Amino acid sequence: MFKININSIIFIFKNLKKTFFSNLFNTIITLLIILFISAACFNTFAWLMFKANWKVVLSNLPLYAFGSFPPNEQWRPATWIITLLILSIFTLCGPEWKWLRKNLLKAWVGTIPLGIYLLYGGFGLSPIMSRHWGGLTLTILLTVCSSLLSLPFGILLALCRQSSLPLIQKLSSIYIDVMRAIPLIAVLFFGQLLIPLFLPLGIEIDRVWRAVFAFTLFVSAYIAEDIRGGLQSIPNTQVEAANSLGLNQYQVIQFILIPQALRIALPALTNQSIGLFQNTSLMAILGLVELLGVGRSILANPEFIGQYIEVYVWLACVYWIVCTIMAVLARHLEQRMTINKANF
Amino acid sequence: MEPIVIAKNLTKSFTKGLRALDNVSLTVNQGKVLVVMGPSGSGKSTLIRTFNGLETFDKGELNVLGIKVDSTHDERKIQKIRRRVGMVFQQFNLFPHLSILENITLAPVQVQKRRQIEAEEYGMYLLSQMGVDSHAKKYPSQLSGGEQQRVAIARALALKPELLLFDEPTSALDPERIKEVLDAMRRLAEQGMTMIVVTHEIGFAKDVSDQVLFMDSGKVIETSPPNIFFSNAKNERSRKFLNQLDNHYSES
Repeated sequence: MFKININSIIFIFKNLKKTFFSNLFNTIITLLIILFISAACFNTFAWLMFKANWKVVLSNLPLYAFGSFPPNEQWRPATWIITLLILSIFTLCGPEWKWLRKNLLKAWVGTIPLGIYLLYGGFGLSPIMSRHWGGLTLTILLTVCSSLLSLPFGILLALCRQSSLPLIQKLSSIYIDVMRAIPLIAVLFFGQLLIPLFLPLGIEIDRVWRAVFAFTLFVSAYIAEDIRGGLQSIPNTQVEAANSLGLNQYQVIQFILIPQALRIALPALTNQSIGLFQNTSLMAILGLVELLGVGRSILANPEFIGQYIEVYVWLACVYWIVCTIMAVLARHLEQRMTINKANF
Repeated sequence: MEPIVIAKNLTKSFTKGLRALDNVSLTVNQGKVLVVMGPSGSGKSTLIRTFNGLETFDKGELNVLGIKVDSTHDERKIQKIRRRVGMVFQQFNLFPHLSILENITLAPVQVQKRRQIEAEEYGMYLLSQMGVDSHAKKYPSQLSGGEQQRVAIARALALKPELLLFDEPTSALDPERIKEVLDAMRRLAEQGMTMIVVTHEIGFAKDVSDQVLFMDSGKVIETSPPNIFFSNAKNERSRKFLNQLDNHYSES
């Protein structure tokens, strides 16, 4: 073991010499680049440690997490986020008990009503208006609710687009094409500004739910296309086999087509939900105080004026961490599915 | 003897005037095994797929298990037939996202509304009949072709069908895997299952079948018992086809 290690280290050094220091010109280039990179690293490190004033981050941590949620009620969103974290850890490295694995999906879906209950209150908790929601909590809520709603809607659109009824097929194609031809920010403006005008007098939908609605409209068009790709890659012999067993059209869709299409589309669906998570930051422009919105409002505080870099570096880190967790979870799900590998 | 399938003058043409089926008439009685032979493109697959409604036809009459179907292709009647007729395909067509046992219990539970436990018990019994019960928890891609085909037979049997259709069940298998599938089919025939089998396996046709039906370009050329068909075929076209098959097998 040890011997092999020494040999391979020598091998690596020889290779390094050959690629980077083979002649005078290459040596100079290599040294210059090393100098440049180390200077950049040193400056960044010096800025992070000595120049940056992290007070703008440290003293506002509850704001980033919960927005303007009343301080003595902040345990509620905190509970929700911690539940999500624990569930992630359990999914990734929990024991392989069968009952646990079977109920994990239910637990994940169950976190959504739990989160909404904890945020809204009622039934024993003091009610809190949605304009007090904010920060990371709101960002996660927007992402989770929109992606969960757009999945069934997207599946429905994909099935309609495959339909043999020309009217339904045309309508869903037009919907998908229009949604894909409009920038997301326009759909979000539509959700915030136009929906209140269309609704009959007296009915009012919360700003947060209007945002969820707009995101769902937009994302479901993309999800529909991903699922359609999955549906089209299922050979027709699968449908014939199911038909020959007496399954009717709806049973074929439910038990044969959708499960297989979802498996095939899973990597694309992961992309959509990570993209959705990042796109929720657009709501900062439209006045929701989600993660980016909190950052902007903190920067508007005279006490912290001008400390853009600190705030945005910190926000980038938070987005990066959450996206990484999502990606790791999705990869885990994909791996579990390839254990039960499909044979196409 | 009760007839299970009665076909009268089935005709199906494709757009270019090509006839896939040309006035095909046949009767299969209960407990009998009919082998359908013929060169590729002769319409044998099309014929057997009309019996459970996977293919439509333009003219003629079809009576399967007392249910009459005509060229209007009534969906409700077709569904009734499919619940009582099993089919085995050339490419197995197992559902890749379901385990072997789930492949078998899906239709009994969803179509016949049987209880899950009951369906699983019967499914395990069928798998052990086919000699693949040790694979019940695996997924189709983990099995060899021969094993997959035997699972497919068990899946077709799960609805307790009164007629089994085989569409070239051994054509996609390695030579050494063919025997295990043919043996399973032989046992079914011995148990009195009514079967219609499209195949090129002469040995199977000689030993198991009660009638051999020879087709070419959509027409029935000859229907004879196997001992006559293979030793002394009436028709020139059948003899030529058998000669070619013989050459092929003596070469390999």
